[in-house]
Amino acid sequence: MIAETIIQVVTLLLIVLGGALAVWFKDLLSSIIALAGASLLVALEFYILQAPDVAIAEAGIGAALTMAIYVVALRRTRRKEKE
Amino acid sequence: MKRAVLAAVFLFVAAFLLLAAAQMRPFGSPASALMDDYFLANAQAEVAANNVVTAVVFDYRGFDTLGEATVLFAAVVGVLAVFRKLREDER
Amino acid sequence: MNNQMSVIVRTITRITYGLTIVFGFYVIMHGHLTPGGGFQGGAVVASAFALLLVAFGTAGLKGKLNHHLLQTLEEVGALAFLGLAFAGIGTAFFANLLANSGAVFGGAVPAGPNAGVLNSGGTLPFMNWAVGLKVMTGIASILIAMLIGLRKEAAE
Repeated sequence: MIAETIIQVVTLLLIVLGGALAVWFKDLLSSIIALAGASLLVALEFYILQAPDVAIAEAGIGAALTMAIYVVALRRTRRKEKE
Repeated sequence: MKRAVLAAVFLFVAAFLLLAAAQMRPFGSPASALMDDYFLANAQAEVAANNVVTAVVFDYRGFDTLGEATVLFAAVVGVLAVFRKLREDER
Repeated sequence: MNNQMSVIVRTITRITYGLTIVFGFYVIMHGHLTPGGGFQGGAVVASAFALLLVAFGTAGLKGKLNHHLLQTLEEVGALAFLGLAFAGIGTAFFANLLANSGAVFGGAVPAGPNAGVLNSGGTLPFMNWAVGLKVMTGIASILIAMLIGLRKEAAE
């Protein structure tokens, strides 16, 4: 029980860290990868909360497909964010 | 000024979220377990599926899935319409 | 214009895309037994397509897999789903008329926790396949249309 709580707290803190990094990075490709990492950790949190259906959907849609669409969209825009 | 407004909005939303978190139920104790108990007891006999979630999604609550399929179809049609315009302009 | 990505991305994609597609079809096929279903499995297969398209660009398609074919397949999936829903209209919309009937996928499952029977579920496996086909081809056609449209815009 204590171990499960520790794992959940660490996962949630890493999700917040991923979201903060996605905002903080000036290189937008790094930002996309941070967002995908946060999404993958959300999938892990869903799995810990005993919702494997939602976890598979989140890992497929959130981590893979949004990242692919952002990478495709990034090819036609600037790579670096303006200061 | 702008920064103060943003800080106020942030504090407002954070206060509401913390209030909601303080009142949260313990994990695994829903407000009403009536439908859950029905699905868990009868899904195997009525739908003959072991995965009760799929039984709910495709059988008991099929209209939800139909709406989701409609949303996906609308998204595909919208994206294809936007990029088809782009291609016809190019010709 | 060669819009491929770096050699690291291409090598990892060559290793993993087959496994991803097989896992996605497994999730669709066992949707009525294990966690997952048509939507999740279709999303996994579509993520393998997305990986291929992002890593290799649209040059590898060679016109064989255009978005017209994918769009047709998506509509076939949607109409199959709607038709299966209408098949049970004698009882109710979305009624499961094949469950426990003894026909294909009409086997019964024992009550309580068990490993499950693949030949069960009634219309659920067909609906899983329909929705899976719809989701995977729909998302793949979105990505192909975006890539081709952006490439043509870049070529101007």
